[in-house]
Amino acid sequence: MADKLLKKENLGKLIESVLGKGGRFIAPSTDARQVVFKAVAKAEDLASDYILARNSYKEFLFPQTEVVAEFTVGKDGVDLRGTDVNPKDTVIFGSRPCEAASLSALRAVFTWDFIDEFYTKREDKTVVLTVACTKGDEACFCTTVGLSPETKDGSDVYLKETESGDYIIEAVTDKGKAFVEKHAAVFEDGSATAKPLFIPAKIEGIDLDKIKERLAKTENYADPVWGELTKKCIGCGACTFVCPTCHCFDITDEGTAFEGERRKNWDSCQYENFTLHASGHNPRDFQHKRWRNRFMCKFNYYPNKFSSKGCVGCGRCIRVCPVRLDITEVMEAMSK
Amino acid sequence: MNLYENIIKNNNHTETPSPYVPVMGTVERVTRVTEHERLFVIAPSNKELLNYCPGQFYMVGLPGYGEAPISITSGPGQEKEFEFCIRAVGNVTNALHRLRKGDTVFIRGPFGTGFNLEEMKGKDILFVAGGIGIVPMRSLIKAVLNDTKSYGRLSLIYGSRNPDDILYKEEFEEWKAKGLDMRLTVDKPHPTWKGNVGVVTTLIPKIEVDPARTIGVIIGPPVMYKFVILSFRDKKITDDKIFVSLERRMKCGVGKCGHCQINSSYVCQEGPVYRLKDLHSLPEAI
Repeated sequence: MADKLLKKENLGKLIESVLGKGGRFIAPSTDARQVVFKAVAKAEDLASDYILARNSYKEFLFPQTEVVAEFTVGKDGVDLRGTDVNPKDTVIFGSRPCEAASLSALRAVFTWDFIDEFYTKREDKTVVLTVACTKGDEACFCTTVGLSPETKDGSDVYLKETESGDYIIEAVTDKGKAFVEKHAAVFEDGSATAKPLFIPAKIEGIDLDKIKERLAKTENYADPVWGELTKKCIGCGACTFVCPTCHCFDITDEGTAFEGERRKNWDSCQYENFTLHASGHNPRDFQHKRWRNRFMCKFNYYPNKFSSKGCVGCGRCIRVCPVRLDITEVMEAMSK
Repeated sequence: MNLYENIIKNNNHTETPSPYVPVMGTVERVTRVTEHERLFVIAPSNKELLNYCPGQFYMVGLPGYGEAPISITSGPGQEKEFEFCIRAVGNVTNALHRLRKGDTVFIRGPFGTGFNLEEMKGKDILFVAGGIGIVPMRSLIKAVLNDTKSYGRLSLIYGSRNPDDILYKEEFEEWKAKGLDMRLTVDKPHPTWKGNVGVVTTLIPKIEVDPARTIGVIIGPPVMYKFVILSFRDKKITDDKIFVSLERRMKCGVGKCGHCQINSSYVCQEGPVYRLKDLHSLPEAI
């Protein structure tokens, strides 16, 4: 059977086709000498040589800041208006398989009880085009958390690069099939050979089952090893902002008492204020407790509560950490 | 267990598209209770908000200031208005203290689990409240005192910093008349104070407890729980018969934003009322 191909010279046409139908095209692009996911308008904007974008594309499904309601207080009373979410069709191009697998984690928390339509409506309108990895770096550890560049979970269309720079495409989900049909003019039948994938070596000494078992034992909770392993953490929260599965947020009112808006803003469990009570009491009063919380969220709470991936092994937190606190080193220590 | 089913039903606000958009409430009365606390009687514009259980809470806010989680303090079954007793301690609560009759507040809720009254029926109940822990406790006490025939012996131990900080003093005679055995204690007495001096645990040994038919309820500042639990254990009350209400910082109220998490549990949805036995797997709780 012939493969379906996206020729590199047709990438621009695909972008035009998406934008022409009123959508937005999010792809890795160079900005301030870093490759980041952002909205692009033409093929030349795409970064060609990258391992993984610096930021996670979660910000296009769960924005850093968004208005959820607006209010005006006047002589006639209070006017309160909830924000309607009418997201644009969104194409994420150049996701990696690790990051695509994170969407089920976000969806789980935004739908487990109350439905947060600010997330679900955006995700429903998003098509994820994953480009399998042909290279990686020492921070990549997807194979250690049970994923690999061959994983298709969360991808709507799965693409493999060919030697000539084209892509072999495979529609994975119904949404992906509909996308390929909608933009059929851009794709061609043909046959090509895919470049070999970069499969990171599984880190020896990390055993997810052992980590889970150890974290589940409440007698290990106050283990002094947490303080030792994480004492260099400065609580900047960078790991949580680049993490594709971290989803904590704040709700604040902005403006004045007469006119303003209520916003959802990203927040981080690494901040002291995150759990600080008005009384001054703080249940997580030391940085190592906050670090432990994030680690346990990924490897114990999340997998047990939502049976989805808390950590996808993208390695972003390792790359951005200003004090080189490597989560895989803690995973190794916790595997003992 | 019907109670929990009701709560679950309450939480499925299918008719409200966004869980982040509040309902407006009108301040009907404000009473200065102590130097730091005021009692607000509020009429919500959507009467469905009055369908709550003791132990639940609301996100109460003011436009431009934000929201704070506030426990319900009125008894259940209200038809027009409900009551919140608020201590001025942070940005939002200090702003709320400036409100007067006729002003508008933003309210979302009710959120979280309530006390399971069905399970308490036929049992003796020992309520232990510290400080403003009496605020959510009052809602439960009112529910129980409305139907004293259904319960056994009812005792309340209530500790405050000093006699001026005691809340709801004017209601104590009525509570006693309805059959509540009340024991007060303060940390710092005035010269005129004739009651007990010391922490709440000094009074627990004085209560006669039949562990087979007693339910213990604890609400107070974080430091209080472990000491009261030890005293309850001395009285042989088992952890499946002890209920606690826990306090955490909260933002969304709907189990998403992560602020209130105690290990894997979202306090705003799976709490704030917990059975002590269920906290054994949550070492961060107490």
